[in-house]
Amino acid sequence: MNAKGVALLGVAKWYGKVPAVQGVDLEVAPGEMVSLLGPSGCGKTTTLRMIAGLEVPDAGEIRIGGTRANEVPPWRRNIGMVFQNYALFPHKTVAENIGYGLVMRRRPRAEIATRVADAMRQVRLEGLEDRIPSQLSGGQRQRVALARALVTRPDVLLFDEPLAALDRKLREQMQVEIRLLQREVGITTIFVTHDQDEALTLSDRIVVMEEGRIVQAGTPDEIYERPRSHFVSDFIGMMNAMRGTATGQGAGGLLVRLAGGRELAVPEAAAATGSAVEIMLRPEKVQVNPPQAEGLVLAQGRVAHIVYLGAVTYLHVTVEGGATMLAMQANGQGMPAPRLGDAVTLGWRAADMVCFAAP
Amino acid sequence: MTARRLLGAYVAVVMLFLALPIAVVIPSAFGEGNALAFPPQGFSLKWFAAILERPALLAAAANSAAIAAVATGVSLVVGTLSAFALRRYAFPGRGALMALFMAPLVFPAIVLAAAIAMVLAPMGLVRNFWGLVLAHIVVVLPYVVRTVSATLAEVDRAWEEAALTLGASPWRGFTSVTLPLLRPGLVAGATFSLIISFDEFTISLFLVGSGMMTLPIEMYNYAEYSLDPVLAAVSTLLILLTTAAVLAVERTVGLGKQFS
Ligand SMILES: Nc1ncnc2c1ncn2[C@@H]1O[C@H](COP(=O)(O)OP(=O)(O)OP(=O)(O)O)[C@@H](O)[C@H]1O
Ligand SMILES: [Mg+2]
Repeated sequence: MNAKGVALLGVAKWYGKVPAVQGVDLEVAPGEMVSLLGPSGCGKTTTLRMIAGLEVPDAGEIRIGGTRANEVPPWRRNIGMVFQNYALFPHKTVAENIGYGLVMRRRPRAEIATRVADAMRQVRLEGLEDRIPSQLSGGQRQRVALARALVTRPDVLLFDEPLAALDRKLREQMQVEIRLLQREVGITTIFVTHDQDEALTLSDRIVVMEEGRIVQAGTPDEIYERPRSHFVSDFIGMMNAMRGTATGQGAGGLLVRLAGGRELAVPEAAAATGSAVEIMLRPEKVQVNPPQAEGLVLAQGRVAHIVYLGAVTYLHVTVEGGATMLAMQANGQGMPAPRLGDAVTLGWRAADMVCFAAP
Repeated sequence: MTARRLLGAYVAVVMLFLALPIAVVIPSAFGEGNALAFPPQGFSLKWFAAILERPALLAAAANSAAIAAVATGVSLVVGTLSAFALRRYAFPGRGALMALFMAPLVFPAIVLAAAIAMVLAPMGLVRNFWGLVLAHIVVVLPYVVRTVSATLAEVDRAWEEAALTLGASPWRGFTSVTLPLLRPGLVAGATFSLIISFDEFTISLFLVGSGMMTLPIEMYNYAEYSLDPVLAAVSTLLILLTTAAVLAVERTVGLGKQFS
């Protein structure tokens, strides 16, 4: 496969006086699938469009396959892009849409026909070649856009929130399909999304952006388990946040005195003594009435609210000191389900806590 | 209910008023008498045949057709590119340029006519085919820019960008994606342009002369010394032609949309 890596070095872009992207450094390895994740307006689309060549960076360098691409226009970059609303040509049939890139590359007619047919088979669209886009369902349009972007065998595949318009079930199905296809083809892929589940499902690596900057990049589990800031941990899932003050290093790690007076030791954490910090703990790490309390950090509390979601249940527990903690229980594991108002013991491993500067 | 009826009656009266000249002119063309009269006496097609014996009218019609065709062709190219630039690119003076393109729509025709004649006369373009073409371009261009630009508003930029990412240069992207999607606007713009140019009177009046006449002015001259039904016959043909053109556009692209 002809996968090429992509590198961004100090890339910046302003729209008038608005900085859309401010100094992004990112390296995407050949064949890697990377998600750009972040809230609306953080510069994901702008970054992607600069890689596509649809926007020109005001500063920094974009490299594709190791060579500078800043001055290369989009039509010479050999990229494939799937747009947010697919951007299928409304006046062309499905087959003409998919074959467009090959026609522009002046491939022989017979070759175009076979490659379009192959691509249609790959995305399971056989039999729809003569439809026009308005006669397709959302999922089918999505597949046409995917086939159209892939059929030219681009060096890099770019997606801008391509699944946002689909309903949840179809979206999850397409996520898996895109991931399998990407692995099969082995193409370098950059995927923009503001949906954390999508990023987790799809990516080798997630790049979290905030206000035009990369705030953290890492594998999905790194991002989820070891977020380096409140912003990242809050954006990518649910969390318990405990505010406190760092009081120095102890035997069990960084000592943090919580607002309620309790002191916890957080392993593998560091902060200046006296600085305000936040301890982050994912709800599924919190056990309710743990059978084996040994080695766990414990807290007593009372169930204040229950959210039943079918596969899992979230318990809101008011603990000593008045704070509320969130615990997630998987249903169907034979655990006795606590009721509203029950006194419960919460327990978690010290190693599951993550500590960073308070926001 | 009465309000509805009143409205219906009002509409009927207005329609009648608008259609009255047509209702008068068409039957007049089929009369047997030698003077333009309504209601006409008898029935004959001889006035249509008589057109062929009026070489001045025929020459003027040929001129008008050629002027309309060339002015429309040029306006389609220039107007499409202008509409594209005005819609797709932000550049200093864009608003002013857009206003300039639309100016002939709101300027009194007589002012425009005098101005154009003053510009063209020193260049030797009076009583000249190309002078008339230039003047007609000024008149019809706003219509083309308007219809094309209204259609262009519905052509998603993302389609053009998708073409670029798929390896199309901007020009190939324009011809293979934008232009086909502009077809309704182009057809409507061309039809307006042809009709307006063919019918143009005020400005042409300043630019015509012996040997270079347009049909409306030749008809006016003709009416000055002879009010026979030949004029009604010519008018009838023009009405038929225009109606056919408008219907054809309505069938293919929907004219109503061009005014919304
Ligand atoms: N064409 C433009 N003109 C002016 N400002 C723009 C333009 N495009 C984007 N911006 C601004 O640049 C910033 C980044 O925009 P961008 O579209 O990259 O965000 P995003 O992360 O893709 O957001 P979303 O999730 O809403 O798509 C925003 O503040 C936006 O308002
Ligand atoms: Mg975006």
